[in-house]
Amino acid sequence: MTQQLAPGIIADAPGSQWSKGTRSRSKRREALVALLFLTPWLIGLVLLTLGPMLYSLYLSFTDYDLLSAPTWVGLDNFVEMTTDPRFLASVGVTLIYVAVSVPLLLVVSMLVALLLNSKMKFLTGYRALFYLPSLIGASVAIAALWRQVFGDEGLLNAFLAFLGIEHGSWVGNPDTALGTIVVLTVWAFGSTMIIFLAGLRQVPGELYEAASVDGAGPLRRFFSITVPMLTPLIFFNALMGTINAFQAFTGAYVISGGTGGPVNSTLFYTLYLYQRGFAQLDMGYASAMAWLLVLVLAAFTALFFWSSRYWVFYGDK
Amino acid sequence: MTWTRSALGVLALGTSALLLTGCGASGDGGGGGNGGGANDGTGEITGSIEIAWWGGDARNEKTNAVIDMFVEANEGVEANGQSADFQAYFDRLNVQAASQSLPCAVQLQGRQLNDYTSRDLLLPLDPMIESGAIDVSDIPEAVVDAGRGEDGNLYFLPYGAAYDAVGINTTLAEQAGVELPEEGYTWDDFVTFLEDAAAGLPEGTRAIDSNGGRPNFFIGWTQANGKTLFSEDGKLGFSQDDLVEYWTMWEDLREAGVTETAERTAEEPSGPDQGYFANGQLMSDTIPGNALTPVTAVLEGKGEGHEVTTIAYPSGPEGSGNALYPSGFAIPASCDNVPTAAAFVDFFTNDMEAGLVFASDNGAATNTAVLEAQLADPELSETKKHELELFQEIVANDPPTIVFPPGYQATFEAAFRQAYEQIAFGNQSVEEAAAAFIEQANAGLGG
Repeated sequence: MTQQLAPGIIADAPGSQWSKGTRSRSKRREALVALLFLTPWLIGLVLLTLGPMLYSLYLSFTDYDLLSAPTWVGLDNFVEMTTDPRFLASVGVTLIYVAVSVPLLLVVSMLVALLLNSKMKFLTGYRALFYLPSLIGASVAIAALWRQVFGDEGLLNAFLAFLGIEHGSWVGNPDTALGTIVVLTVWAFGSTMIIFLAGLRQVPGELYEAASVDGAGPLRRFFSITVPMLTPLIFFNALMGTINAFQAFTGAYVISGGTGGPVNSTLFYTLYLYQRGFAQLDMGYASAMAWLLVLVLAAFTALFFWSSRYWVFYGDK
Repeated sequence: MTWTRSALGVLALGTSALLLTGCGASGDGGGGGNGGGANDGTGEITGSIEIAWWGGDARNEKTNAVIDMFVEANEGVEANGQSADFQAYFDRLNVQAASQSLPCAVQLQGRQLNDYTSRDLLLPLDPMIESGAIDVSDIPEAVVDAGRGEDGNLYFLPYGAAYDAVGINTTLAEQAGVELPEEGYTWDDFVTFLEDAAAGLPEGTRAIDSNGGRPNFFIGWTQANGKTLFSEDGKLGFSQDDLVEYWTMWEDLREAGVTETAERTAEEPSGPDQGYFANGQLMSDTIPGNALTPVTAVLEGKGEGHEVTTIAYPSGPEGSGNALYPSGFAIPASCDNVPTAAAFVDFFTNDMEAGLVFASDNGAATNTAVLEAQLADPELSETKKHELELFQEIVANDPPTIVFPPGYQATFEAAFRQAYEQIAFGNQSVEEAAAAFIEQANAGLGG
């Protein structure tokens, strides 16, 4: 389950104002010092990340039950995926989750950021309050709490009963179980919101002033100034949110009691991967799933970056 | 605005790298030598060991108390316990097995034993019995044999023999105006009992949980009706028609509103002291026979005056539908402190004081001296006494010990629940789900 995109290190091209000899000697020493300081990280990267990653790539072509030696099976694991009903169900659940939760998360955090960008009393207090859920949103305790809120005898149903509406369990119904997890994700909007808020603070005030003078209303100002100025951050948040959503696990694991049920309705990709790997001891199949996820994420990321040239506005251009 | 393309790119890539590695490094190759040669468990009892078991709060308390007694009795020994809920316990055990870090004393049951023996993860205990490190003189031979693997070696020493029972909330049964089924009742009697009760139960309660997806009753049903659960080669021994008949019975009950709804069953917390029966919302359910005490405690805590009891499973033309599920401690091949682990296994199973403290929390004590001492104890609670007496009643009917093939827990139990969910939520017919289950189970069973 260990994967990594190539880390990007972007160095400025070296200039050449000085004579080559002194330049290269001090340069070489600098490089050595840099390497020295990088060593702890490099060791970690090679031993803890690259090594296991490559090993899992090998495992994805094997039949490996964790407890005895792997045997090579070629592409069998990948072929099995095409006919495995639970695999296909997990892909469906994950795609729906990504398609629904990411846009919702962006809209909600943008709205809250706009709200918190206005001038009102106790603003810092509100900001801290709104950020709070994202600190605890990914925790097991909150996911367990979710069962209490959306269960048959949960808070939500108690509230609905007060209004005279009868409703069964939200968590135990295959049609609504995934929805409760989407709500959990969106509820933890804090970090996305903070990034938007930081961006809003940097939009030059004179742009708004000029637009107001020209007679642009608030909606027009939002869509013609705020949104374009924020596109780099929308891009960043959308990308992060998508990568996150593809890997969602904790909420589904806790809310469904590790089963992905009812009827596979919360069987996220990573949850099924976990079940195959650690419950059914099909590490080869689980590794193959992990690598497929890496490829899909890489493709999504590439697509995002490619599309960004058409809709992301950078201040430096 | 100073967001530059490259800065953002680095940030994005760096963060996604962190996210992707978030799952942490896993799978470190495994392998490793299991060490050859028999280990007879003799040697200095010292140093530290880890001990792992499954169970709820009450059992954790008792097990920890026994561990404390063991440490006190053996100078220089340190012992650390780790416990989890039944399902989570085995998930963790698999991870520990893969990383060669299994605790030195791990609690096992026949249902999972062959997952581990088929991969040579456990030490045979026979040499330790021969050397005298572990004493089995007070345990009936038939019970000891329940800890043997497919190869005939003893891999865990049963300290307690559990059974599944039908828990009955007698308060609710009284309100519904039904009499408890009499000893030797059949599945037909049971269904009639449930249907009669459903008509008279107070609002917010049901006659029984939706049980089609749980293997417990199914195992009892196959035993009572003379079907075979598993064939010699570790595949399914019953037919699709058998399964269709069984699931149709539960579907009829569910559709008639006798059982709990599919939705509520899907979200029910696991663990007998957490479920709806322990909350007083069900008149009956299958519970481990030894769960009577914790369930009674939970219901007492609610203070609604509900009383519960347990009865044996329904019988059938082929006799008793009850089976014994012994639990005991095993010693992994990777254990580096076998003498201390063997001493602990022996202590837990045979020490009289320890046995009285543990009080047959996980099935009746297999050590007959300990069991008799418990029954003779005037302070034995009524519920515990009932548990032990029902155990004796079931044992008198000569119940079978089922040999579960490797893959049982991961494949059979999970697929059984999923297949029945497909029926209960209306996605598949009983026939479709039964066919799909049989194919899936046979593919994963038998190792």
